[in-house]
Amino acid sequence: MATRLAPKELVTRGDRLSGGHRLCAGCGASIVVRNVLKGAKDHPLVVGCATGCLEVSTTIYPYTAWKDAYIHTAFENAAATISGAEAAFQSLKKQGKVSKDCKFVAFGGDGGTYDIGIQSLSGALERGHDFVYVCYDNGAYMNTGFQRSGATPLGAWTTTTPNGKVDLGKRQNRKNLTAICAAHNIPYVAQASVHNFRDLIAKAETAFETEGPAVLVVLSPCPRGWRSDPSQSVEMARQMVQSCYWPLYEIIDGRYVINYDPKAKKIPVLDWMKAQGRFGHLFKAGGEDILQRLQENVDREWQRLQALAQLGAVETPAGA
Amino acid sequence: MIEFIEGNDAVVRGAIDAGCRFFAGYPITPASSILVSMMRELPKVGGVAVQGEDEIASIGMCIGAAMTGYKAMTATSGPGISLYSENVGLAIMGETPLVIVNVQRQGPATGSATKGADGDIEFMRWVTSGGLPMIILAPENVQDCYTLTVAAFNFAERYRAPVFLASQKEVAMIREVFDYDRARAEAPPAFARPVAAVDCVYEPHACSAPDQVPLMSPIGGPHLVRYTTSTHDQRAYLTGDPEIIGAMVEHYQRKIEAHAEEMGLYDEELEPGAETLILAYGVSARSARAAVKKARAAGRRVSLLVLKTIFPVQEKAILRALEGVSRVIVPEMNLGQYVEEIRCLAAGREIIPINRMNTTLVTPSEILERGGLL
Repeated sequence: MATRLAPKELVTRGDRLSGGHRLCAGCGASIVVRNVLKGAKDHPLVVGCATGCLEVSTTIYPYTAWKDAYIHTAFENAAATISGAEAAFQSLKKQGKVSKDCKFVAFGGDGGTYDIGIQSLSGALERGHDFVYVCYDNGAYMNTGFQRSGATPLGAWTTTTPNGKVDLGKRQNRKNLTAICAAHNIPYVAQASVHNFRDLIAKAETAFETEGPAVLVVLSPCPRGWRSDPSQSVEMARQMVQSCYWPLYEIIDGRYVINYDPKAKKIPVLDWMKAQGRFGHLFKAGGEDILQRLQENVDREWQRLQALAQLGAVETPAGA
Repeated sequence: MIEFIEGNDAVVRGAIDAGCRFFAGYPITPASSILVSMMRELPKVGGVAVQGEDEIASIGMCIGAAMTGYKAMTATSGPGISLYSENVGLAIMGETPLVIVNVQRQGPATGSATKGADGDIEFMRWVTSGGLPMIILAPENVQDCYTLTVAAFNFAERYRAPVFLASQKEVAMIREVFDYDRARAEAPPAFARPVAAVDCVYEPHACSAPDQVPLMSPIGGPHLVRYTTSTHDQRAYLTGDPEIIGAMVEHYQRKIEAHAEEMGLYDEELEPGAETLILAYGVSARSARAAVKKARAAGRRVSLLVLKTIFPVQEKAILRALEGVSRVIVPEMNLGQYVEEIRCLAAGREIIPINRMNTTLVTPSEILERGGLL
């Protein structure tokens, strides 16, 4: 899907997250934030940010990279705190004590979303607050030194899923956060990636325009944790999408829409895994089984997603 | 063997030597290296290490594993202790042996990530609802991290209670020379968990006197074991009977307080005729030692008491150190927490708290200056 903002507008709009922050070279987090905030257009914002890389690196004393009202929350409650702010704002507005318009957005990493923060996210989605939750997903706890999270892929090395004689990285499959959020039957859930700015901004626009909760789950490379070349982050994200490991899709009021189908250009997961040191051990003898399982998982999920999108197409009149 | 390791490494060694075979934790600096090391080391000795999805899950898993028969440990820092709070109460209520390492950093909340502090001393003491006694040990160096971890397991198992190791960033993440053989020789022997005989009629909280500790029997083992977070009788049946509840509370209080001296770990360097006592724990004790050395070299008479067991309060040892002393100096990396325990015992004496909560250490010269020892 493409943004409704004109290219000129996108360029001249400026960033609501300034340069000079201390995120690593090749980190996806700031790309996620900047493009998502572009989607908020001119709306005033209250930003919530869970503890994590994004938070520490954008608020180094005596500076801050955030140009909007900003609440740093504990690791586990970005969604709860932002939903409290939203509820209070709606109440004040109803009483005529504030007149301006305001949007609410919370950012969390995968650790702060898939694991410790899932309870507060689930509660906020179920209560139906009017806010946008954005998970920048790099597949591990990078801020504390690369521990596994519920988003860490099968077979990936982290400091708490080491590879050795017995284990070859993480034993378990990753959770499907997008599906978990969709199961709350909220109006809008989408998966996006840092390599496709137009798609990401368009999804952010939709999310901010949506009345009620909206969730964006965005693939965000981490060269330190992935053990990959920082200059290749965006290219790697592109390949991960092209392999259907990270499909770009939306769930709009329960209807599944696939935004990008590589069709014949679908590449094997091996293509990008080779460039990430966190999977290096799988390319030695003994790793074949996990590589095969990873590919099978991706293929099965892609088929499932296509079937769901097919279902949506049947239910929705053409052109809707 | 002489090694160069950090305090967190020594905690891991101590835990494994004490018989710890279950660990669950959640990443948080400056405690993460304990999680990573336990995941590497425990499987080698047939143990289990798990990363939880948060702190609540981590301590919850430890309670489950401890009741099922393993010696268990978890490790975190201030924000994690906040999330442990309810489950620490559960461990007290269910008489669950458990070692909780708190590698303190300056709070509140995310605080100063990651700089050292002793800001959680009274937080650990009053960590959960109900206000029952807690056992808390504070290491001042890497060797202590080993020895006190062994002691923490022994106390946890002996008294069936959660025990805190009040470490902090400065002790946990600084490398020091560590003599493993010496540490092992000096550490107390690991206490083996006594369990109820297979053919007995088992009651999880049955004991002969209020200060005695009931035998454990692993959940899922030979006996039908019940466990409850609610006030209960000796069978762990929920009760609202004031008499039974009173007896339960008396037991939880007495089993710790009546054995306070058995848990007394401290270094005393008392000097006859000393007018000044420096009383310290944790990393500040190192500055206290340096200050005492300097003061004595300058001809001052100074006594020193370094507490390793900070709770239960070692009243007898503290009163002994206070004898004949007119002035007490208490350096701490907080706004003055443990000094309040000393105030209760040091009536009539001048008390000089030296407090620091800007992430830097209390220095020996500051102790000398503020304590009038120059």
